[in-house]
Amino acid sequence: MASAPGKGGLRRTLRSCEYGCQFVAHDSPVHRLSAGMKLGIGMLLSASAAGGRTPATLGALVLVTLCYYLAARLTLADLWRDIRLFMFQAALVIPLYCLVHGPAKGLWPGIRISTQIILFYLPGAVFLRTTRSSEVMRGLRRVLPYRVSFLVFVSVRFVPFFFREIADITAAQRLRGARLLPRQKLNPRNWPDLFNCLILPLMVRALKTADEVARSAESRGFGMYPERTFFSADQLIRRAGDTGTAQQGEPSAPTIRTAASNSTVSS
Amino acid sequence: METRSEPIFLWRRFTLREAVLLCFCATFIVLTRAGLRLHLHMPGHVMFFTMFFLLLARGFVPKLGSVTLVGLLTSLTSVLLGMGVSGPIVLVKFLLPAVLVDLAGFLAPGFVTSVLGCLAVGVFASITRAGVSTGVEYLIGMEEEIIIGKALISAGFSGLWGGLGSLAVPAIIRRLRLNGLIDDGTEGSLDA
Repeated sequence: MASAPGKGGLRRTLRSCEYGCQFVAHDSPVHRLSAGMKLGIGMLLSASAAGGRTPATLGALVLVTLCYYLAARLTLADLWRDIRLFMFQAALVIPLYCLVHGPAKGLWPGIRISTQIILFYLPGAVFLRTTRSSEVMRGLRRVLPYRVSFLVFVSVRFVPFFFREIADITAAQRLRGARLLPRQKLNPRNWPDLFNCLILPLMVRALKTADEVARSAESRGFGMYPERTFFSADQLIRRAGDTGTAQQGEPSAPTIRTAASNSTVSS
Repeated sequence: METRSEPIFLWRRFTLREAVLLCFCATFIVLTRAGLRLHLHMPGHVMFFTMFFLLLARGFVPKLGSVTLVGLLTSLTSVLLGMGVSGPIVLVKFLLPAVLVDLAGFLAPGFVTSVLGCLAVGVFASITRAGVSTGVEYLIGMEEEIIIGKALISAGFSGLWGGLGSLAVPAIIRRLRLNGLIDDGTEGSLDA
């Protein structure tokens, strides 16, 4: 019988993600803040990080930013995943300072700059960790034209689709002898296989899919009018009942338009 | 192939089909970024597929603004999927190389079929990405000597990966054009 995960293991699974800056669902004060508020706090903290030069200011900023991070109920393991890239940067910056100014004079400026860089980026990580995609999407819709937000949505929506396509094409081509195993892909001599047997068929698939998506959307009248339009069966049936001319049941989508602004129905 | 006149969908320039195709390029950049971040930890490696798909987007839709649209969609999608380690700055990180590729397309419209042209644009556009973090470091107050040293290392790696990614583009574009899947690069042509 398989053993159930321990309490600590379960908590870790719930709280942590495989890689940095991924959304983590919790009920925390930071999660409850609006996306705009979080962006505002983030900008304030990042600006303070850029300005803080003395050890006292920097120490206070580290404390405040850590409190903000931990208030989102994120773990130290999450923190490490979010900042490990900047730790590699610090491993480059500190030796560079020591090389230029000598270890005695260069160590503190190197540590200060590395800390400032981490503090500058950390509020952005908190934003991504605590804000749902749908929330960001709602915010984006307020500032972006609907056509651009439609494209962003399509881009997100087709991530799993093309992920499956890549897996299918890879499996089919491997059966034909293409060297597409993850280990083989690291060898530059196998890169022609990667491009000819995977990327090229994938591009052809993308071209065909783009054509299908566009035809499908256009056949529903999408993008025909400057304002955003959508199909509303309820409004249509109500209007059909009022006029007494339309038939009962679901009408065919290509012939009917319901404008969001004035709710007109035309055939 | 059947020809049909398509209505313009976006920015008085792109049809819906072209816009969706460009948005797929953004999807591929996001997908490859996600794939690479799980396996590789080499500096600048993200530019390999980023430049590849940005240049491919220019080949697919040879119109001014097409690559900028891909850059914009990539950055917004990255933010949405929580993939921007640098938070909102990721917007600039993708837009800057994209604008440069567009600029190159404006100056030399047929560069996507030239290996040398793609290599030059790929390397140059990748290097600009390193400039974004350099700007942040300058803002923080890092010394110029250190900024230059670090920027050189970072730009070197980004340029190397970006250049490698660009090399494959001309062959793919030529093959797709030969098979009539994309148009021959004439501005204003709407249907492939």
